[in-house]
Amino acid sequence: MSKVVRSVKNVTKGYSTPEIKVRNATSNDPWGPVGGDMAEIAQMTFNDSQTFQHIMDMLDKRLNDKGKNWRHVLKSLKVLDYILHEGSELVVTWARKNIYIIRTLREFQHIDEDGRDVGQNIRVSAKELTALIMDEERLRVERQDRKSWKSRVTGIEEF
Amino acid sequence: TTTRHVDMGKQEAELAINVRKATSIDETAPKRKHVRACIVYTWDHKSSQSFWSGMKVQPILADEIQTFKALITVHKVLQEGHPVALREAQQHVSWLDSLKRGVGGLGEGTKGYGTLISEYVYYLQAKLAFHRQHPEFNGTFEYEEYISLKSINDPNEGYETISDLMTLQDQIEHFQKLIFANFRSGSNNECRISALVPLVQEAYGIYKFITSMLRAMHTSLGDDEALEPLRERYNGQHYRLVKFYYECSNLRYLTSLITVPKLPQDPPNLLGEDEERPGL
Repeated sequence: MSKVVRSVKNVTKGYSTPEIKVRNATSNDPWGPVGGDMAEIAQMTFNDSQTFQHIMDMLDKRLNDKGKNWRHVLKSLKVLDYILHEGSELVVTWARKNIYIIRTLREFQHIDEDGRDVGQNIRVSAKELTALIMDEERLRVERQDRKSWKSRVTGIEEF
Repeated sequence: TTTRHVDMGKQEAELAINVRKATSIDETAPKRKHVRACIVYTWDHKSSQSFWSGMKVQPILADEIQTFKALITVHKVLQEGHPVALREAQQHVSWLDSLKRGVGGLGEGTKGYGTLISEYVYYLQAKLAFHRQHPEFNGTFEYEEYISLKSINDPNEGYETISDLMTLQDQIEHFQKLIFANFRSGSNNECRISALVPLVQEAYGIYKFITSMLRAMHTSLGDDEALEPLRERYNGQHYRLVKFYYECSNLRYLTSLITVPKLPQDPPNLLGEDEERPGL
């Protein structure tokens, strides 16, 4: 159902192709983001500056979403982690400049209707990502070697 | 294109709402999402002035819980906000002082936050005084190599800086003890515990700084005797910090939010360069 609503919204709100890609990869569906989607987004960060901007602005919006949409936040962290490794160098610059967006998610809180602490995964991801972005050397090495980080950012299983 | 594209006008209007909600009357932690919005605001606008004016129009003095939550919120913004927040805060020291004279400040207050409020104000004033003296430090004292290097070049200044940091550490120690002493049975104490969160983080930042600065000074000065008083004080602080973190690790609400740092039982050896350095 949410999938149908999302595709209608994509049309009525006039989202661009890169925006739709990011919205789909970071949706409220209880699975994903899948590797294929992330790879595609990473590839698009090398395109023209407008495409880049649409991707980052949409990710930014998702990262700052409210607690109820915690999946948006968690999946955006995963996508960001992925494109920091596979995307354009501009992603790295963006992340350094706006690190406070990610850093401040380290205390993200949300308890769902069943009393589950769904913020935990976000806090852990935000912590790892903050450390990575601040460690220039490590990020440079990881950008050259896919194996060392791949397991961390593959699609999330059912959660 | 690497800058965030936010609606600055909209953010400005929303800031007042976030400040109001962070300092609501409920006896809970200030909601993280509202505190976060205040922090993010200072980075996006490179200013904290609207945050302060937003604070000042809130009727927080009328209620001790609101006053206490305002102090937690201010502390978090000083820690995580844009560096300009730390500088601009210096203009608002007397406003902080005025919080001691509110409902909570007159005696214990009906909900028991009176002393906590006075001590929190006292601590924040000490913190701001430190940052005024040492503008090279950020709000959480996160490790930056160049500051230790600077101190080695001027050992007198280094000695002074370490002393000042240790004094601040003692003040954290004093304040956290007071918070624990003010826990009420039959309450989840969430509001009080949430004030421990920035203290746990700040104490660790200070601890790491002192450790690396002291090491650097031992190496460069080669005069162990001159540094003896600092070493003694360091060891004492180490044991007290281990105890503080141990007590925090038993608070489920706190450990669900942040990872309490794990320190070795005994203080690390600050002498001898080749010796293995216990992890912090």
